[in-house]
Amino acid sequence: MGRDGIAGLAVLAASLALFVLTLDLKDSPLVPVGPGFYPRIVLALTAVLSLGLAVADVLAHRGRRPAPAADATKLNYPLVAISFGVFALYVVALPWLGFRIATFAYVVASSSLLAPPRGAKGWSAPLILALATTVVTWLVFERWLSVLLPRGSWTDF
Amino acid sequence: MFDLLGTALVNVAQVKYLLPLFFGTLAGVVGGALPGVTITMTIIVVLPFTFGLDPLQGLAAMTGVYVGGSAGGLITACLIGIPGTPSAIATTFDGHPMAKKGEPGRAVWLGVWASFFGGLLGGAFLILATGPLAKFALQFGPWEFFSLFVFALSMVAGLVESSLAKGLVSGGLGLIVTILGSDPVMGQKRLTLGIPFLEGGIDFLPVLIGVFAFAQIMSEVERMGGAEKLADAVDRSLGLAVSHLKVIGEILGRPFLLLWVAFIGVVIGVLPAIGGSAASMMAYDQAKKLSKHPQKFGSGVPEGIIASEASNNANVGGSLVTIMAFGIPGDAVTAVMLGALTIHGIQSGPLFILQNPELAYGIFAAYLLAHPLMVLIIGLSTSFMLRIVTVPKAVLFPVVLVLCVIGAYALNNTMSNVYVLLAFGLIGYAMVKGGFPLAPFILGVILGDQIEINLIRAIMTDADPWLFLTRPISGALIALSVASVVFAIWQHYRHQSKVAGDSETDF
Repeated sequence: MGRDGIAGLAVLAASLALFVLTLDLKDSPLVPVGPGFYPRIVLALTAVLSLGLAVADVLAHRGRRPAPAADATKLNYPLVAISFGVFALYVVALPWLGFRIATFAYVVASSSLLAPPRGAKGWSAPLILALATTVVTWLVFERWLSVLLPRGSWTDF
Repeated sequence: MFDLLGTALVNVAQVKYLLPLFFGTLAGVVGGALPGVTITMTIIVVLPFTFGLDPLQGLAAMTGVYVGGSAGGLITACLIGIPGTPSAIATTFDGHPMAKKGEPGRAVWLGVWASFFGGLLGGAFLILATGPLAKFALQFGPWEFFSLFVFALSMVAGLVESSLAKGLVSGGLGLIVTILGSDPVMGQKRLTLGIPFLEGGIDFLPVLIGVFAFAQIMSEVERMGGAEKLADAVDRSLGLAVSHLKVIGEILGRPFLLLWVAFIGVVIGVLPAIGGSAASMMAYDQAKKLSKHPQKFGSGVPEGIIASEASNNANVGGSLVTIMAFGIPGDAVTAVMLGALTIHGIQSGPLFILQNPELAYGIFAAYLLAHPLMVLIIGLSTSFMLRIVTVPKAVLFPVVLVLCVIGAYALNNTMSNVYVLLAFGLIGYAMVKGGFPLAPFILGVILGDQIEINLIRAIMTDADPWLFLTRPISGALIALSVASVVFAIWQHYRHQSKVAGDSETDF
C-alpha cells in the first residue's frame, strides 16, 4: 500500500471514530434534526471517500512495477522537523515567558538554525534581527494598534 | 452606482484610507517580488496590522496587497528569470528573454502597464457585475445556498488537483473541522474531544494562517541547507529607463489580445480556487494560439508578457466578485479578506453590497486606486526591489512566523488560536507532503458552517428533501456539482498519461 492508501485509512479511522461519538449526541426538541445530523452526513461521506482513496491506491499498486528512483533533489527534512520543534517551543513558552522574551529567543534560535552563524561576529545578525523584530512588533501592535500581546506568567513581562 | 463609486473614490483618496492602501500595495509588490513568498503569505502577514483599523482601512490595505502582489511577481520574473509568485511563471517565458536581449526596462514596464490595464478591465467587471449578481443571489433560499456551497466545494475539489479523490477527501477534512465544537444552529456542544477550547469551535483564520504559512515556509525550508544563489543572479546595474508612451502604445495597440486575456483572467477569478497562475498560463497559451508568429513565443515577444500580466491582474477583479456577491472566497487571499470582514462583524454574501454600500464601493475604489499606486511604487522602487529579493530566508521566515502568531493571537487575545495555528501548520504541511490540495480543505473550513446552517434551515422550512432538486436554481447547482465531478473524472483519465513533472505549488 502506498502513501495515499495509508492516508486514506488514517482519515477513514478518524471519520469512523468521530461518527461513533456523534451517536451520543442528543436531539433537540426545538429543531427537526439534532446536532449530530449534519456531522454524521459529513463523516459518512468522508469515510466513504477515504475508503475509496485507499482502495484506489491498492488497485493502482497491484501489478505495477516498482517506481523508478525518486527525484534526486535532496530535501532537508531534519531541518523542517527542528524548525517545527523550535516553533512549538515558542508557542508553549509564550504564556510563560511573555511575548517579548519568547519572541526574542525564538527569532535568535530560528534564524541561527536556518543560517548557522560563523564565529562570535556571526551571532550579531540573528541577535539584531531578534531585537528589531521584538521591539518593532511590540511597538506597532501594543502601542499603535492596541493589540495586547501575551504577558509571561513567570516573568510578568 | 456611479454616484456611489465617485463618492467612494473621493473618500478612499483621503489620507486616512490612502495610507493603508499605499502600504498594502507596497507590501504586495515586495511580497510578490520575493521568490518563495506568495500573495497569500503577504496578506497573512498584513492581516494583524489591520486589526486596529476600521473595516475600510483594513480592506483597502488588503486590496492593495492583492493588486500589488499580482504585479510584483513580474519584476523578478523579468529581471532574474525567477517568478516572484506562481502567477508570474508565464511572464518569465518572454519577460526574461527580453531582458536578456538588452531590454529589461521594456520587459518590466510591458508587464507593469499590462497589469494596470488588465486590472482596470477586471475592475470594470467587478463594479458592473457584483451588484446584479448579488441581486440574483438575493432570490436564493437556504436550498439554493446549500447547493451553491456544495457546488463551489465540488468544483474546487475537482479542479485543483489531478486526483479527484484527494480533492474530495481534503474538502471533507475541511468540513470535519467545522463540526468540532458546537452546533451552529442551537449552539449545543458536540465532538469537543474533551478539549475545553474546542467548545467554541475553531476559527477559520488561524486554520488558514497555519495551513498556508507553514505549508509554504516549510516547503522552502526543506530545500535550504545549500548556499543561496539568488544574490549572484541579481545584476543591480540594470537600466530600466523606457519610453512609457511607447510601452503603453504597444499594449493598447493590441486591444483584442488585451480584452481577451483580461476576460480569461476574470472568468478564472470568478471560479473558486483556480488562481492567478492558471489564468496567466491559459492567457499565455491563448495569446500564442492567436498569434501570427507563435514560434517566436518564448524568445521575448511582448504579447507573452502582456497576456500573462493582464490576465493575472484581471483575475483579482473576478475573485473579488465571488466573495462580494456570494460570500465564497475565490482563493486564499480573498479567504483572508473574508476573515477580516468577519472580525469586524460584517457578514459577506449577497446582502453585503446592500447593507454596506459604502464599504462595498470603498473596496471598488481601493481596487481602482491601487493600480496607479502599484505603477508608482514599482516605478520608484524597481532597483531597490532587486536588493530586497536577496533578503535571506533565515531573516524572512522567523519574522513571518512571529507575525502569524500575532495574527492568530490577536483575533480574540487568547492562546487557543495560536495552538490551532501550530496544529494546523503541521496538518497543512503533512497534507502538502501527501499531495492533498489545500484549497478544498480551506473552502470546507470556511463554508462548513454555512452549509450546515442552510441545510438545517431548509429542513426546518420544509422537510421534503426533493426540494433541493426540484427548485430550479438549486437543482441546476446540484446538477453542476455532479457535472463538475464527472468532468474532473473525465479530465483525470484524459490527462493521466500526459501528466508532466511537479510544477510549483500555487498556495
